[in-house]
Amino acid sequence: MSFWRKVSWAARRRSKEDDLAEELRFHLEEEAEGREEDGLTADQARWAARRELGNLASVHETTRAAWGWTVVEQLAQDVRYGARNLRCNPAFTLMAALSLALGIGANTAIYSYMDALLMRQLPVPDPKSLVVLKWHLSGQKNRRDSVVHDVSGFFYNDPKLGKTTAIFPYPAYELLRKSNDVLSVLFAYHPSEKLNFLAQGQAEVVGGEYISGDYFRGVTIAPLAGRLVAPDDDRVGAPAVAVLSYAFAQRRFGDAARAVGQMVQINNMPFMAIGVTPPGFFGVDPARVPEIYLPMQAETLLAPEWKVKADPNKRYLDEHYYWAEMMGRLRPGVTMAQAQAVLGGTFETWVATTATKDSERQNLPEFVLQSGASGLDNLRRAYSEPVYVLLAMVGLILAIACANIANLLLARATARRREIAVRLSMGAGRWRVVRQLLTESVMLASIGGLAGILLAIWGVQALKALLATSDDPFPLSVDLNWHVLAAAIALTMLTGLIFGLAPALRATQIDVMPVLKEARTGEGSTGPRRFGLSQALVAAQIGISLLLLVAAGLFVRTLSNLRSIEMGFRHENLLVFNVNARQAGHHDPEILSFYGGLEERFRSIPGVTGATVTNSPLIGEGAFGWPIVPAGKPKPADAPSGHGSGMGATTTHVLVTGTGFFNVMSIPVLAGREFDSRDRLGSAPVAIVNQAWLKVNLDGVNPVGQRILSLGPGEKKMEFEIVGVVRNARYDEVKGDFPAVVYLPYEQNLSVPAEEMTYLLRTAGDPLRHAAEVRAIVREADSRIPVTSLTTQAAQIEQGMNEQILFARLCTGFALLALAIACVGLYGTMSYTVARRTGEIGIRLALGAQRDAVVWMVLRDALWLAVGGLAISVPASMAASRLVESYLYGVKANDAISVAGAAGVLITAALIASYVPARRASRIDPMRSLRHE
Amino acid sequence: MGNIPARMEFLQGTLDVLILRTLVAGPSHGHAIAKHIQRTSEEALQVETGSLYPALHRLELKGWIAASWDLSEKGKRARYYKLTANGRKQLAAEQSKWEAFSRAMTLVLNPSEQEG
Repeated sequence: MSFWRKVSWAARRRSKEDDLAEELRFHLEEEAEGREEDGLTADQARWAARRELGNLASVHETTRAAWGWTVVEQLAQDVRYGARNLRCNPAFTLMAALSLALGIGANTAIYSYMDALLMRQLPVPDPKSLVVLKWHLSGQKNRRDSVVHDVSGFFYNDPKLGKTTAIFPYPAYELLRKSNDVLSVLFAYHPSEKLNFLAQGQAEVVGGEYISGDYFRGVTIAPLAGRLVAPDDDRVGAPAVAVLSYAFAQRRFGDAARAVGQMVQINNMPFMAIGVTPPGFFGVDPARVPEIYLPMQAETLLAPEWKVKADPNKRYLDEHYYWAEMMGRLRPGVTMAQAQAVLGGTFETWVATTATKDSERQNLPEFVLQSGASGLDNLRRAYSEPVYVLLAMVGLILAIACANIANLLLARATARRREIAVRLSMGAGRWRVVRQLLTESVMLASIGGLAGILLAIWGVQALKALLATSDDPFPLSVDLNWHVLAAAIALTMLTGLIFGLAPALRATQIDVMPVLKEARTGEGSTGPRRFGLSQALVAAQIGISLLLLVAAGLFVRTLSNLRSIEMGFRHENLLVFNVNARQAGHHDPEILSFYGGLEERFRSIPGVTGATVTNSPLIGEGAFGWPIVPAGKPKPADAPSGHGSGMGATTTHVLVTGTGFFNVMSIPVLAGREFDSRDRLGSAPVAIVNQAWLKVNLDGVNPVGQRILSLGPGEKKMEFEIVGVVRNARYDEVKGDFPAVVYLPYEQNLSVPAEEMTYLLRTAGDPLRHAAEVRAIVREADSRIPVTSLTTQAAQIEQGMNEQILFARLCTGFALLALAIACVGLYGTMSYTVARRTGEIGIRLALGAQRDAVVWMVLRDALWLAVGGLAISVPASMAASRLVESYLYGVKANDAISVAGAAGVLITAALIASYVPARRASRIDPMRSLRHE
Repeated sequence: MGNIPARMEFLQGTLDVLILRTLVAGPSHGHAIAKHIQRTSEEALQVETGSLYPALHRLELKGWIAASWDLSEKGKRARYYKLTANGRKQLAAEQSKWEAFSRAMTLVLNPSEQEG
């Protein structure tokens, strides 16, 4: 193996050299002896031998070349030389490596998120054959005029398809499952509401997924322990079973395998845990990671009894009730188009038969088949746009970093023209010199790349912490994306090569003599041209920084606008948490007194000055709403009913509240009275309205004593008497106009049945100090009930601004980063200019120029660069800011204050960055600088 | 062969074969190898030191010859090269190639010889 010989020779290079020297010495002696024998004198013989051998050094050289490690040796030389060079210029090295690291790190971190969010496939076998079934209504048609009479699930607006959804009636699922030859399996699922999970005496609230019997056959995963739900488990009367996710089983039972066979209580019903899913599996929707999987039939056991009693078979038989979501697996060889044609034909024929009116017949759902390789796209839809915005920002940072590297290397290569000329004149080959410079660029890029990797690792962790809300951690596992890391490093290396090499190549072409004659700091013939490019680069950096600074300004102003929104109630020192007694087995009417008892006990906690109860948190979890109109007025044409978020400000929001609610929340009662002990079960129904509701419904009338008609869920009509008017307060949305709200007394129990209730505790000090007492009181009252969503009202409001907070923070960070890198570039350029002009400045000073004038001269140059950059980027930022308009609140996209502020910050930073070189220029000793020439 | 120039250009790879062939007789040092080639070629082939030692080291790297320090006839330390088993194989292959080549050359240059 000649390779190993080569390596071992390389290892004992020193002794090989000695060997060769001795070998050649022996050769000369032999030769000389031979010539002596031929009759020459000893001296003549030695000289003849020497002559015959030729250039001894060259023989050494060519023989060494035969050893085969010249390249390695030269590389080692280059690396040593490069390292020495980088060490000698620590400022240059630090700046270059830092800007590289920041550019690479930020891009890799953000792109890793994008990859996890937008591109990753489900961790199941052959994800490409999975398909998601959806339908849409074409055009601007309304769901209310369609065959869809009732839903559990949501619609979204697809830019191409219009109103789109993935929910179907159960009969459609059964039909498609039985009559298709394009799918090998079709399975259905439906997310559960929050479930009360009780095991080993500990209760908590978990997220669940109701699944059809062949769900696990469809996703094709094997259980980690026990068995998974099979078709037999999803039948009426089958034993109640549950499958746990790996993470949940691990957390609750210490060991996933130990969970199998455990009896647990879900919503107070006994279930057996039969198995655990494998660790990587998270269901089919990356946005919603269930803790437990239950057969669909179990939903009948777990739904609140008042819902089931209303119509037990609605779920499975109603052709107009849309709720089941479906995924399937294509049979081998079947294309999406074929499957779309077959499934679409079957569904659309069937759905036409369910239409009961002409309006429904003209507005039939149209079937769409989409790829399910990455699971459902809910998370992608929510996050893709913000992620693209962030990606654009870090892309700009990378651009600035590259410009910086280019600039630094340009300045350096020019400064080293003399050194290169010396080396060329000493006989160094051109390629050899270029290779040396190349090595240095690559070394620099490697240092930056390495630091970039560390930064990216840290960045991924930091982003994870930023993205997590207090309740849910970020649902996806995010790994460092090595492709992006490699791409970013390659890009910066390329920049380094182009800008390090181009001047170097030019330098090696030069006629060495003029350069050698040049004074050390003199201006080279290519000087002015280089300075032009460098100026352009710095101006570009300043321009890009402005873009990021403007974005930061916009987002910071948005956030501050959001934070100063008038809430209508006092949100400081307010503890909020949910309790669901119904899931733990409490029923009407006992549940009312149970909740009332809890309220009394909370009120008696020392440090709690007030406590009240509502049927929904005010912020962050949507609102109840149905039409409520003055008695005798017609029902509004398009008024939503039910529970949701984002209802219009004029539609009536309904909040069921306990006594003392307005007092605890500090919402002023403007007329009449607030609910009190008179408003109890069986007393005359009363209501309190707010100003916004009055404005829409009873403007200009004295409202107290007026009768109003509530058209509650299920068209339940009921009359209430207005007993009070309160000032506007937020409910559901933080932004926009105040909603029209009607408050109903919880004690009368006349609207939606009491289920999960929200308690609001006004505290004297930090609300979270009372968390433990609250939990203890609930546990004492009924250990099967967990306290959930415990937080402060202030934190809950902040959480609604998560996206804006994230954008403001990240953007400010990015802008500072960009500013720092640009300042480094400016500082480098100005330092170089000053160094180049040492002689000139010396002469100026010698001729009597004031030192202040010299400082100003340098600063003026920097200022021109900054102004040049701004001239281009101010209009650009005005245009670009429109792209983020949808994320802004209370600020126009081309906000003058943000732009002016950003420009001010940039100019200040530019002056500071160039002040140090300017000061250095003013300190030049004229005598020394002139002697230096 | 009297009109052959005193120094002949080596064809690519010729020196390697000559070195290997020389070592068949037994281990030898660089100078002796050069002299042996010169002598046996009737002074037609002059081995330049500048190509001899790189060739020797190249052959050693390929594992066809092995080197060790030994004492010369005159008692001086010299670097002796000897043929390895691989080297012997290589020589056999090269030699048959050369013989075929030289036979072909002869046939082309002296066609009458074959006819006669």
